[in-house]
Parts: sequence; C-alpha cells; structure tokens
Amino acid sequence: MTRMHRTAIAVALLLAPAALAAQGAGIEDRLQARGLPAALAHRVAAVAADATARGVPDGPLADKAIEGWAKQVPPDRIVAAVQRFADQMASARDAVLSAGVPSPTGPVIAAAAEAMRSGMRPEQVRSVVQAAGQGAIAAPGLSVAAALQAQGLGSDQAVKIVVGAMHSHRSMSELLDLPSVAHMMHDQGMSPGDIEHRILDGEGGGGGDQGSGHTGEHDRPPTVPPGTRHDHDGHF
Amino acid sequence: MQPSDGTVVHRVLSGDVEQYRILVERYRAEFGRYAVASVGDLDAAQDAMQEAFIRAFDALATCRDPDRFGAWFFRILTNQCRNVLARRRDTVPLEEVDPPGGARADEGLERGELGAALEAAMARLTPEQREAFVMKHVDGRSYEEMAELLGVGVDALKMRVHRARDALRSLMGALR
Amino acid sequence: MNEWEGFGADAHRYLDGEPFEELSGAELAAADRLAAEARDWAGRLPRLDPALDEAVMAAVRERAPARRRRGLGWLVAPQTVRFRPIWVPVLAAAAALVLWLAPRGRRAEVVLTPVRAVSDTVFVRFELAAPLARTVSVAGSFNGWQVGALTMIRDARGVWTATAPLPVGEHRYEFVIDGTRWVPDPTAHAEVDDGFGGRNSVIVVGPKGLVRS
Repeated sequence: MTRMHRTAIAVALLLAPAALAAQGAGIEDRLQARGLPAALAHRVAAVAADATARGVPDGPLADKAIEGWAKQVPPDRIVAAVQRFADQMASARDAVLSAGVPSPTGPVIAAAAEAMRSGMRPEQVRSVVQAAGQGAIAAPGLSVAAALQAQGLGSDQAVKIVVGAMHSHRSMSELLDLPSVAHMMHDQGMSPGDIEHRILDGEGGGGGDQGSGHTGEHDRPPTVPPGTRHDHDGHF
Repeated sequence: MQPSDGTVVHRVLSGDVEQYRILVERYRAEFGRYAVASVGDLDAAQDAMQEAFIRAFDALATCRDPDRFGAWFFRILTNQCRNVLARRRDTVPLEEVDPPGGARADEGLERGELGAALEAAMARLTPEQREAFVMKHVDGRSYEEMAELLGVGVDALKMRVHRARDALRSLMGALR
Repeated sequence: MNEWEGFGADAHRYLDGEPFEELSGAELAAADRLAAEARDWAGRLPRLDPALDEAVMAAVRERAPARRRRGLGWLVAPQTVRFRPIWVPVLAAAAALVLWLAPRGRRAEVVLTPVRAVSDTVFVRFELAAPLARTVSVAGSFNGWQVGALTMIRDARGVWTATAPLPVGEHRYEFVIDGTRWVPDPTAHAEVDDGFGGRNSVIVVGPKGLVRS
C-alpha cells in the first residue's frame, strides 16, 4: 500500500460521516421528491447510510420506503420495515459472500434477500450464486428460484432447476421464462412434481424464437427450450 | 457543504447579520409544516414563525448550545404557535363536531368528509397533544427526536400521542 | 354520539412501528384509517411562503445596525467551528481521491442487467375483475409505486385491463382500487410479503412474454 493510499484512507475515515452524508443526501432528495416529509426522509436516509456502511445497497431501501409511503403506511412502520429489510440484506450478503463472491453487487444482495424472505435457505442461495459463476445471471437466477418455489415447487426443486439451467448454459432469457413455463404447465393440470421433471428433462421442441414485444400469453407452444443452445441472443 | 448551526450563530453574533438568513431558510423548511399543522391556519402560522425568528435573533446570545440552534429555536416556535392558538380560540367560537353520515363503515365515506371531521377534531386536542400528534404523524419524527426537540421524555410523549389518537378517533366518531 | 372510543395498546404499538401481540381487523382498519387521514390532511396543508425569510431579515436588520457595522469581526472573534475554511478544498480533493481508489464504498443501485435480446421490454397485460370499483390502477416496482401511473380501463362486464411495456425481469406490484385499496393479482406468478403486513404480487417477465392464468 503506498503512502498516498494510506493517507487517503485515513482521511476517508475522518470524512466517513460527511461522505455518507453526501450519499444520504441523494436518498433524502429522492424520498422528498416522492412526498415523504423531511423528517421521515431523514430517518430513512440514516438507516440507508448505516446499511451502506455494512455493504448493503441503499437503492432497494429507498424503494421500500417509497412503496410504504405510496401504500399510506404510518411513518414509524415505514422506518421499521426499512430497517428490517436492511438487516435481511445484510444476512443475504453474508450468504452470497460465503458462495465465494468477493464483492457482492446490489442486485444480487437484493435478490438474495427477497429469496430468503420467501423461505430460501442460505445454503440454497449459495448454490445458485455458485452456479451462476462470473456472469450477471445470479440475481435473475435467485428471483426465478424464489418464484418457482412460490408457485408450489419445493425450494430444493426450484434451486435444482435453476442450477441445472445455469450448468447447461441456458441463456438469461430462458431462465426468466421458467416461471411462465411452470405457470402454463400448472394451468394444464400438471402437478409440481411433473412440472419439475418436465423442466429438468428439457422437453423437446425448438422454441428458438426470441419474439419482440408480443403479449404471448396462451398462444405459445407448451415446450421448454432444450438444454442445447439455439441462439446467442440473451446469452451471458 | 452547509455550515453548521454553531458556525452561523457565531458569525451572526460577531456582526454578520446577513448570515442569519441561513438559519431562517433552514428552519422554515424544517419546521414550516409543523407550524401550519399545529396552528391550523396559514397566516397565523406565518406570523408565529416570523415572530419566533425575530425573538430568537434578539435572544441569540442566550443560546447555550449554538450547534443545536434548531432545538432551541423549536421551543421558541412552539411557544409562539401556542400563543397564536390561544388568541384564536378566544375569538373564534368552536363548532359542534357532527360526525358525518351517522355510524357508517369506513368504505362508504368520501375522503373529504372525514378530512373535515379530522380538522375539527384536531382543534379540540390540547396543545401538547396536537403538537405531539403533528410531529409524529405529519412530520414522521421518531420519539427520540421529539424528546430532543421538546425537552420532554419519550414515555410522556408516547402518552400524548396515544391520547391524541384516542381523542381523534372518538371525536371523529365515524371511524368504526 | 361522543362515546369513548380509543385504541388498544396494541393498536398504538402498531402505529408506532413496534412489535405488537394481536390486532383485530377492525382495530387495524381504524388505525390505518386515522394515519391515512392525518397524512392526507397534512398533504393538503398550505406551505409557508419563502417570502417570510426576507420579512424576517428586514426586521432583523432594523434591530442590529450596530452589529452590522462591525462587519468582518468574525474573522478575529473566537469561535468553535468544526472546519476552518482553508481545509475544505483539501478535504474535498482527498474525498474525491478516496472515492476513486475505493469503489467498494460507493452506493450500488439496483438495476436488473438488461437481457441483450432483440427487445428489452415486453408488453404485459394486467387484468382484474372488479365490477364495483370506480377506478383501478397498477402500482409497482416498475413505476415507483405511483397510484396514478398505470390506470386501467373497465369493460361492460366490469373487467379492468391495462397493458404496459415492462423490462424483462422480476417485478412486484398490486392493483389499487379507488385510490386506496391495495389488492394482489390472483393471476401473478407468486405472492410475497411486502414487509408492511400486506402482500405484493410477483411476475417474472421473460423476453418471450408473460404467461399466467
């Protein structure tokens, strides 16, 4: 470490409250722009600044406060909910760190926290993050696993599907398609167990169409893109 | 970076009167909503705030902790608001609060109707209850902040807020 | 008509953001209603005129002509300032250097990395059967939870619909009925706790579009 670097860090520690305050000012302005009274915005910003110091992203915290304000939640409950979310994200960050990711990004931490809030266990989060490797597919992978679990597939099954999809190098678009696919199968009367098997087996059919902007509800063929790649679109 | 309260107070006391504007702007923004909500009338609230700033200026040398000018100023402001409220109560007769529409469930009532009932009910709270309710539900302050600003303990403040809520519910009548 | 009708201790704890034991549906509704009414009322309050600042300053100047003439006396007067002016540019430069050297301290925004597909956004249709509603809209993570941002249109049967372009990825939302009643979407992929005691609907939108019931 160079001497200049050391001095810079020493000054940073001195400035930490000011630097955090500067960051907090951005959050406060954003919250006030959405109608939150100044004192409430200040309280939320304080929670957010504390969270940032713990390596947790403050964007989702501000979003949560804005959501609470929109839903007319009383101010004290908004602050309490934001604090709880910050704590959940701190735990989620630990889970992501334990997967060997040196600097977890905001989106991954937020997705992991939401997944854990829906019942996913830390080791399951770890599996998904590890399978994602270096790409940006971890966050969507976690969201998809959480959604599949909520749709009635067991959490182990949901994780297995997502990890399997990642290992067979399915694209992000194929991954993001899974909850819709599962939903369609459910409508056709398939049980969660059947759905799990069908998706894992990567049932046949082409399905290489990356359609742009069409509503695509019931008109899609009931196939799942196979494990083999067809397109490079959306692949990371 | 914005100068701290203490910095500005010292500058003003040393002769740079124009610096006082920084405090005026800062605390009009911080406490303006509280003033309007506690007094219930824009003009009267503006009078209260203006008077409070002038008194604070006159007494500036007596501010023992200039870094916490805000909390010190807030006490002065609260006193002015109460004075204004007391004057208004003497002159304006209180109307009977008629809960609108009889005992109906929340769903059918228009928001505006309940709003008018709330307005009238607020006027019937004690000054302490009204201030505490405004700080809690309008400003969204924590009890700790309120304690610091009012110089009253958290437990006492909780009691004021709770009593205010109870009184409002009762006075509004239609919240069943 | 003025019978005593306060809130129970748990209702107060609920409103204070503290843990509470048990709250009946009626108590909860009344508590929420009071808080919402106070909020609305506060929103309708007029704002103080910034011209007040000048009025104060005019009065203040009149009261302190003697002080004013002393001018820059503050430079020599003893004061307990935290930062002397000369330090500010040095610290600012150091801060800039630190932020450059240590990116980990930077704030991370949540932005779902867009899929490099033919189209990043997909049209998603929302639908709700609510014949008694006067207005229905969709509020969620994709529009900042704004109640008026995506209003729905009612057909003759009382089914409300709206279509909006959404980026691919996960989205959370609820329907808002008559501006104040938030309800989840029974056709969404999942329903989750919103952290406030309510629920949010979750959909995961892929580039091929969305399938739900």
